[in-house]
Amino acid sequence: MITTDLNPATLWQALRAIPDPEFGVSIVDLGLIYSVECTPDLVQVVMTLTTSSCPSGGWIHEGVRAAVEQFAGSREVQVDLVFEPAWTTDRLSAEARRVLGGDETQ
Amino acid sequence: MAASWLATQGRLPLAFMLLGLGWLGVATAMLALSPGVLALSHAAPAVVALTHAWVLGVFVSVATGAIYQIAPVALGTTLWRERLGWWHFALQSISIPGMVYAFSRWDMATLGLFASPFALGIGLFAINTWKTVRNSGRHDAVAWSLQLAALWLLLTVVVGLVAAANRLWTFLPFDPITVLRAHAHLGLGGFFLTLLQGVTFRLVPMFTLGDVPDWRPVRSGLWLSQFGLISLAPALLLQWNLLASASAVLVLAGMLSSGHAFRRTLATRKKRALDPGLRAFLAGCGALLLAPILGLLLLWPASPWGSGGGGFGAMPYAVALLVGGLLPVIVGMLCKVIPFLTWMIAYGPKVGRVPTPSAGALTAPRLEAWALSLQGSAVVPLFIGAWTQEPWLLSLGACLLAAGVMLFVYHAGLVLRHLWAPRIPASAAPPSP
Ligand code: HEM
Repeated sequence: MITTDLNPATLWQALRAIPDPEFGVSIVDLGLIYSVECTPDLVQVVMTLTTSSCPSGGWIHEGVRAAVEQFAGSREVQVDLVFEPAWTTDRLSAEARRVLGGDETQ
Repeated sequence: MAASWLATQGRLPLAFMLLGLGWLGVATAMLALSPGVLALSHAAPAVVALTHAWVLGVFVSVATGAIYQIAPVALGTTLWRERLGWWHFALQSISIPGMVYAFSRWDMATLGLFASPFALGIGLFAINTWKTVRNSGRHDAVAWSLQLAALWLLLTVVVGLVAAANRLWTFLPFDPITVLRAHAHLGLGGFFLTLLQGVTFRLVPMFTLGDVPDWRPVRSGLWLSQFGLISLAPALLLQWNLLASASAVLVLAGMLSSGHAFRRTLATRKKRALDPGLRAFLAGCGALLLAPILGLLLLWPASPWGSGGGGFGAMPYAVALLVGGLLPVIVGMLCKVIPFLTWMIAYGPKVGRVPTPSAGALTAPRLEAWALSLQGSAVVPLFIGAWTQEPWLLSLGACLLAAGVMLFVYHAGLVLRHLWAPRIPASAAPPSP
């Protein structure tokens, strides 16, 4: 899909369709996506993993790139995997907490 | 991370899991066909053959495969040499059937022939593990547990070879039964316990979105057990019961410290519901706590519990430890690892391109829970049957175990089918607000 005017909300929506393989919760609801920015030349996603030793982390990282590339058109796609700030459970969305049953620990 | 590198991930551990799964079927069939062997002496050839079918075929295959998967992940590095891992796999696959056959015939020369390649495979595994840990530069409890577990396994295998040679040429100044005890405890305590006391603290938080709130009890648990284990094997060999009892107490203290750390870790989890595999793993770990206590009873045969021959002896002890403790731990690992590795291979490359399911969606939790419950229900009749030498109880236990294992293997087949027939869900992620 080639888009000239790319809205970050579209990309958030696309990333929301990627479930984490272990928890079955969208990686957006897990809070793994820190930011999505679009400029005329570049789409930049900053993301993390629940742990730096996440065994499926490589595929999630690749998958985020693949999902964004479908919308990026001629823009360069940059997906930065960062561990600073580290992911914490505070980043879980209400939906993720509901699915994981984590509310009671709050 | 290169996609080509990612694509090869998971194949080696999965190969070991399949080997373990195959042996789970074979070892269960061996027991189901002659459950009466559990009423024999534990040193009878048929029992030693059955023990090695379970321990080497199932437990060691799954545990070493899991280490190939877990060590790089837990240490944030890559496996030192994947090719060595494949050599280990080939050596282990060809040697175990011959070893089990040789044990059943009590043919120690043939045993040596097949056990040597097995030992070579374990040597390659140990080198791979040590180099991987070294390259990671980590010195935490997890890194230590991996290195020490590999060392204990290698030691077990060397002592096993010596025990076999000693049966052939009788050169050791010890009763062969005490050599057997030292060897068995090096393997069951040294390798499996050491592994569990470290790696659990990386895996369980990862699967449950939890944290290890305090690493001190993890470290003290690991080291207390190590001190106990170091003195246990020589104490058993030399029949120094007082030292062996002190060692068992140290091991128990180490396990309690790890258990305490484990409870605190579990309490931090954000994923509240535990899936059947994790529940089996926890139940097995809990049952393993009984091992040093039952072991202490065995060290003092004059106790009212008696020792063997229709009283409490090595056989019920082994049944409790292997079927009640290690089996659920190992099968619980399989429940987590097989769907995950299948997902990595079948769906990992598709993430972001098409909707993908989660690893959990490849499983049928109810079927899995039934399989595990049936296996669990076999423990009591097998334990009491081995204790009282009651044939009908042994048959009942073996039937329940066989039913549970058959369901489990069928379920694993359903998961593995995704490797050649991946199914793309219409919508992958649960709808978000
Ligand atoms: C090269 C590999 C191995 C060889 C050659 C070997 C050899 C032996 C021999 C000869 C015995 C009987 C000792 C006797 O009666 O004199 C024995 C017993 C035993 N071995 Fe191994 N072994 C090997 C690997 C292992 C491993 C890796 C484990 C556990 C992790 C293990 C666990 C046991 C146990 C639990 C027994 C006691 C069986 C019973 O009493 O029925 N062995 N082994």
